[in-house]
Amino acid sequence: MSLIIDNLTVKLYTNFKKKEFFNVADSVSFSIQNGEIISVVGESGSGKSFLGLSLMRLNPPYISEISSGSILISDTDGFEKIDIVKLKENQLSDVRGRLISMIFQDPNVSLNPVIKIGDQIIEAILAHKKMKKKDASDVAIHYLELMRIDGKARFNSYPHELSGGMRQRVMIAMAMVLEPVVLVADEPTTALDVKTSLQVLALIEKMRFEKNVSVLFITHDLSIARNISDKTIVFYAGQIMEYGTTEDIINSPLHPYSISLTKSVPALSKDYAPRERLFVIPGSLSQSDFKSEKCRFYNRCFKRSKDCLNEIPLLKLSSERFARCVNIQ
Amino acid sequence: MNTGKKPEVLNINKLSKYYLSYGSLFNFKRNIIKAVDNVSFKVYKGDIFSIVGETGCGKSTLSKLILGLTNRTSGEIFYKGNILNYNLKKLNLRKKIQIVFQDPYSSLNPKKKIYKIVSLPAIKNKIIKKKDALQYSMQMLKNVGLDEDYVFKFPHELSGGQRQRISIARSLSVNPELLVLDEPVSALDVSVSAQILNLLLDLHEKNNLTYVFITHDLRLVRHMADTVCVMYGGKIMEISPVDKFFDGPLHPYSKVLLESILAYGPKNILQFADAGNININNININAGTGKNRRGCVYYNLCSRRMDKCINNEPDLKENGDVQVNCFFP
Ligand SMILES: Nc1ncnc2c1ncn2[C@@H]1O[C@H](COP(=O)(O)OP(=O)(O)OP(=O)(O)O)[C@@H](O)[C@H]1O
Ligand SMILES: Nc1ncnc2c1ncn2[C@@H]1O[C@H](COP(=O)(O)OP(=O)(O)O)[C@@H](O)[C@H]1O
Ligand code: SF4
Ligand SMILES: [Mg+2]
Ligand SMILES: [Mg+2]
Repeated sequence: MSLIIDNLTVKLYTNFKKKEFFNVADSVSFSIQNGEIISVVGESGSGKSFLGLSLMRLNPPYISEISSGSILISDTDGFEKIDIVKLKENQLSDVRGRLISMIFQDPNVSLNPVIKIGDQIIEAILAHKKMKKKDASDVAIHYLELMRIDGKARFNSYPHELSGGMRQRVMIAMAMVLEPVVLVADEPTTALDVKTSLQVLALIEKMRFEKNVSVLFITHDLSIARNISDKTIVFYAGQIMEYGTTEDIINSPLHPYSISLTKSVPALSKDYAPRERLFVIPGSLSQSDFKSEKCRFYNRCFKRSKDCLNEIPLLKLSSERFARCVNIQ
Repeated sequence: MNTGKKPEVLNINKLSKYYLSYGSLFNFKRNIIKAVDNVSFKVYKGDIFSIVGETGCGKSTLSKLILGLTNRTSGEIFYKGNILNYNLKKLNLRKKIQIVFQDPYSSLNPKKKIYKIVSLPAIKNKIIKKKDALQYSMQMLKNVGLDEDYVFKFPHELSGGQRQRISIARSLSVNPELLVLDEPVSALDVSVSAQILNLLLDLHEKNNLTYVFITHDLRLVRHMADTVCVMYGGKIMEISPVDKFFDGPLHPYSKVLLESILAYGPKNILQFADAGNININNININAGTGKNRRGCVYYNLCSRRMDKCINNEPDLKENGDVQVNCFFP
C-alpha cells in the first residue's frame, strides 16, 4: 500500500466565531496500492477537491482543519512511513512534491505565468535534490519528453505560449519529476476537448505503468473514470457512498446515487435508445446535506424509506465492494 | 434523415471567415487564421443537425456567422431560400434564428432582473409591448420548467442550470424556428445537464424546432441528433446521418473521434498518448493547417494519407447519403 487513509474527517467552518461547521470530508477511509488508479466521482460541491487538497494538507487554512484520522504514506521500498496529518507545517514542504504531488483543472494554479517552463521544473527539482543545474535541466527535458513535449524546443517557453493541453502536460511533468509515490489529479482534463483530454489521460496512465505511481483521480465524469481507473469511489456530501472496481460501479451500480449518476448520462448503458429522456436526479446538493442526520442522499433518493432516517454506515458487501445504503438487497 | 421531403431551413454556401492575427507579441508578421473555410451544408426543417470537432476547429465562429454576430469573409447564408444579410437589419428574418451559448454565467446581463432579460428580445422585435414584459416572462419561464417567481431575481442568484434555462427562455421568447445551441451543457453538472437535454428534446418535439447543436461530445450527438457534421481546421470533413456514422464513419478523422469514445479501460487508453501530436520531422508545410497550404488540412495527422493529398485539396463529395471530404474514403 502506498497510501492508507483512515477515518479522515475535515471540518469546514461556515462561521468560525460561532464555531459553526460541517464535515466536508466525513470519516473517509480507503487505500491505494502502488501503481493503482482510483477515481473519485461525484457532483460539483460534493467535496472532492477538498478531499484531494486535504491529502496534501493544502486545504484552506483558518476555515478548515483536519479534525481526525490519518493519511499514511509510504515509499515504494516501505522504508519511509509518514502520517501526513501529524506533520508540522515546516515538514510539509519536504513531503509535497517528493512523496505526494497534485495537478489541478486550471494549470495557472501551479504554473507561474512569468517563469519559463523549463526553469519552473528545474526549481521544483532543486527544491528537493542536490544536483547540478545542468543535470536538473536534463531531467526536466526528459520529463517533458515523456509528456510528448519537445523538451529542448519548449524549454524556454512561457506558459501562455502553450495550448491548454500542453500546459496540462507540463504540469504533469512538473508533478512527476521527483517520482512521487502518490499523484492527486483534480479534474485535470475538464477544460480540454475530447482528443486532448484522452492524450492527457493516456499520459497519466503511462506514468502509472512506467513509474508505478499511485493516482487519486478526481472527476465528475463517469466515462473518464471508466477510461482511467481500476477502482472508483462514488462521493457525495463528504462521504463515500459506494466503492468498488470501476467496471462494477459502472455496469452494476448498487447505491441509488451511483445508479442515478449512470442513468443521467447518455450512451453508457448497452440497451441505449437515442432521445430517450435521461434520468434527472431531483433537487440539488446543498451544504445542509453535509449536516444531515439522515442518509445524506435522502432528499434526492428514489429508494428512500423510513429505514433511512438515521446515519447510514458504509457496509462491506464483499472484499472489493462497499456501499452506504440500507436498501440494497 | 434528410429525405429531401423536408423543407430546407438553412443553406450555408461556401461560407468563410478569416481572422487576422499577430503571431506573438514580438512578431509583427500578420497571420491569417482560417477559422471557417469554404463551408457548405443544408439543414432541414425539424432536424437536429450537430456539429462536432475539437477545440479551435471553428464551431463557435460558424455559429456566430449564422447569427450575424460577426462579419463573414465570403459566402452566403440562406434562410428558407432568402439570403440573410444582417447589414440590412432584416429583423423579421433574424428573430427566427436564436442562439444559446455555452457559458450560462457570462451570457446574461448581471445587472438586470430576469424578466427584463427574458423579455428584451421580444420587445425589441415588437412581439410584445413593454408593459406586458412581466406577464410574458412568467409564461416563458413556465415553458422551460422554472418557477414564475424567478422573474424578480438577478442572474447571480441562480444556479448554472437555472441560468441556462433562462438563456433558453430568452431565445424562445421571439418564437424562433431555428435554434443554434453552442455547447449548451458542457459547463453543467451531470444531473443539471440531463435536465437541460431533456428540456431541449421536449421543446424540439412540442414546437417543431430545428436545431444546430454544437458539441465536442459524440455521446451527445448520438443521443440528440439526426445528422452529424464533423469539422477540422475550419473545414467540414464529413456530413452523415447519425446512425450511419456510428456504424462506421468514412473520414479518417471521424474514425479517430469515434474510437476515442469507444476506448474503455486503462490499457486501451494508452494508445492515445500521441493523439494530436504532430511529429515535427514528418510535417508537410504544403498540407495541414498552415496558412500557405495547398493540400488537405488533415494531412499531417492522417493515417491514410498519400502523395496526392499534399498538393491537392479534396472537396466534400457525395457518397450515398454521406458527404466526405477525403480522396480515399
Ligand atoms: N476574434 C477572433 N480573433 C482572432 N482569431 C479568432 C477569433 N475568434 C476565434 N478565433 C480563432 O478561430 C479559430 C476557431 O475558433 P472557434 O472559437 O470558432 O473554435 P471552436 O470550434 O468553437 O472551439 P471550442 O471547442 O474551444 O469552443 C481558432 O483558431 C481561434 O483561435
Ligand atoms: N474556499 C472555500 N471556502 C469555503 N467553502 C468552500 C471553499 N471551497 C469549497 N467550499 C465548499 O466546500 C464544499 C465542497 O467543495 P469542493 O471540495 O470544492 O467540491 P467538489 O470539488 O466536489 O466540487 C462545497 O459546499 C463548497 O461550497
Ligand atoms: S439509505 Fe435510503 S435514502 Fe440513502 S441511498 Fe439508500 S435508500 Fe436512498
Ligand atoms: Mg472540485
Ligand atoms: Mg466554441
